[in-house]
Amino acid sequence: MLTVPGGLPKMLPLYPMNSALQVQNLSKSYKRRIRQPGLAGAVKALFSTQEQELHAVRDLSFTLQRGERVGLIGENGAGKSTTLKMLTGILVPTGGKVEVLGRVPWRERRQLALNIGVVFGQRPQLLWDIPVQETFELLKTMYRIPPDIYGLVYKEAVRRLGLEPLLATPVRHLSLGQRMRCDLAAAVLHAPAIAFLDEPTIGLDLSVKEQVREFIAHIQEKFGITLLITTHDLKDITETCDRLLLLDKGRLLFDGSIKAFEQKYASDRRIVAETHRPLDSSVAGPLSVEVAKKGGKLIEAEGHRVVVEYHEEGAAPNLIQLLLQQLQVVDINLEKTDIETIVTRIYRQPDRAGD
Amino acid sequence: MRPLAPPLTLSENILGYLSFLNRALKANFAYKASTVLGLFTAALTYGITVLVWNHVYDQKGSSLNVTRQEMFAYLAMAFCLNYALTINIDQRVGQRIRLGLIATDLLKPLDFQMTQAFQALSDCIFNGFIALGIMAVAFSALGRQAFPKSPEAFGFFLASFFLAFIIQYSIVFFFIQGAFYTYSGYGIFASRIAVHHTLSGLQAPLTLYPPILRSIGAWLPFQHVVFTPITLYTGRAEGAQAWHLLGEQALWAAGFYLLGNLVMRKALKQLEIQGG
Ligand SMILES: Nc1ncnc2c1ncn2[C@@H]1O[C@H](COP(=O)(O)OP(=O)(O)OP(=O)(O)O)[C@@H](O)[C@H]1O
Ligand SMILES: [Mg+2]
Repeated sequence: MLTVPGGLPKMLPLYPMNSALQVQNLSKSYKRRIRQPGLAGAVKALFSTQEQELHAVRDLSFTLQRGERVGLIGENGAGKSTTLKMLTGILVPTGGKVEVLGRVPWRERRQLALNIGVVFGQRPQLLWDIPVQETFELLKTMYRIPPDIYGLVYKEAVRRLGLEPLLATPVRHLSLGQRMRCDLAAAVLHAPAIAFLDEPTIGLDLSVKEQVREFIAHIQEKFGITLLITTHDLKDITETCDRLLLLDKGRLLFDGSIKAFEQKYASDRRIVAETHRPLDSSVAGPLSVEVAKKGGKLIEAEGHRVVVEYHEEGAAPNLIQLLLQQLQVVDINLEKTDIETIVTRIYRQPDRAGD
Repeated sequence: MRPLAPPLTLSENILGYLSFLNRALKANFAYKASTVLGLFTAALTYGITVLVWNHVYDQKGSSLNVTRQEMFAYLAMAFCLNYALTINIDQRVGQRIRLGLIATDLLKPLDFQMTQAFQALSDCIFNGFIALGIMAVAFSALGRQAFPKSPEAFGFFLASFFLAFIIQYSIVFFFIQGAFYTYSGYGIFASRIAVHHTLSGLQAPLTLYPPILRSIGAWLPFQHVVFTPITLYTGRAEGAQAWHLLGEQALWAAGFYLLGNLVMRKALKQLEIQGG
């Protein structure tokens, strides 16, 4: 099926029937005119042919099975939107191969369109000048949506996303968050086989975000939709996805389950204890030695607070016992580094994948 | 898991386009003020053209082979035709390319070029009704001069008008492709309008043009948008000659539509949807 020059079948489709999407060595570089700042620079750029290549996506390979729920994350400019543009067929890659539902997206964009749903957070597909309801009805005909499916998705969207009061409003009179909700509904009205959602929760308030996640999860489950979401709100991913792809400067830095991600990057856990009386400064030294013996590391012992970090899976009971024996503890908490902290840490590391 | 949706059949495609036309027409009514302003501007341009010609006839009317009455009837027709065939898809699409909104259009299961044709049809229907209103005024002012030469001539005119629509649409669509490279619709729009105004016969019958312009125009499709339909309406071409003109129009229509398709395929390959 997929062969590379030389005839070697490099990526054997293990479950060709169930595979929704296969990406192999996908790359995209943009050419940009080099331009000096200021008006003079802009004028000079008119006559200059100096170009700079920007590698937005490099050598990306992964496969999604049908029904998988996958989150794609990465810093601003990591190449998430560029990837989604190529997977949906509106951008031609500079290298590599993509097959979505057995089709090459940029060659068979129209045929593919019937079976995918797309949200580009910043680009509404709703018709600007007429009420939302009109766009929904247009999509119903355009995608030849069977009445039972349309009825089902429509009802769920109206109920879960609170669309009722918005349906009769022209799109240009909607707020960003209202429009985003309508746009999401429009993208999945035809219960597509794959939904590509590029920042579907951008500009939403906290409670609406929750509604949107519930709607996505519900529709996904109902129709077994393959989900690929990009977002900067990691809760979107922990609540709707099982698998995570982390892009870093166009390269795939991590691909695996969310659990595996946490294990790989967040092996550290903490015990935070609060003591009855403020700690004496002489306590810290000996306590630190004791904690180390039990497989932990004393991070903080000041005021009423003691923080111990450990990596070994089974170290917690011994460490807690130690703290209870040595100190007058009034409260104790076990903390796991949350995914947001992990991701922030990864983004902050200056030399990750390296250029 | 739902089975994959099979491709749309021809009739399902047509239903999709008609549904789109329905919504495009509704959207056209959203900007009344802009419509009125556009009409006013067009009328002003027309008024000035009439004044200029009036002056020319005062000076040396006898030396022209078109009478003053015929000229005014021609200009009224040209104005209405041009108004009905004012298609704004280039500005619209140019704007969508600039902002990257074109992405959502390209992700629809309908053909982009055909969808834009129905957008153009919606413009044409909307503007056509206004043009009919203007025609009614012109009829009462000009009397018999404004009527078609014969029922036969009127039939030719209707066919010619339909072909003129396809040509006009195809020209506009062809020019749009420039916006896929420049990422801005304005320059493209301005250059098309400039050529259209000079070579379509909007400001004067092409028979009065200097020979050089006439021969350039003969090799381009613009004359078939305004001049040819009026030639048939006024019966200046009849019988075999009329059929010949219709044939020429049909060739231009088909040729430019296909050319637009060809260029679009190439343009889309290099298009970089703007914005993250
Ligand atoms: N049309 C374009 N021309 C030139 N460079 C581009 C273009 N589109 C994107 N880029 C560049 O490609 C890189 C990846 O952009 P992309 O939009 O894919 O990032 P992203 O991961 O979606 O970021 P964000 O989280 O901010 O949405 C960026 O450095 C961006 O500047
Ligand atoms: Mg993005």
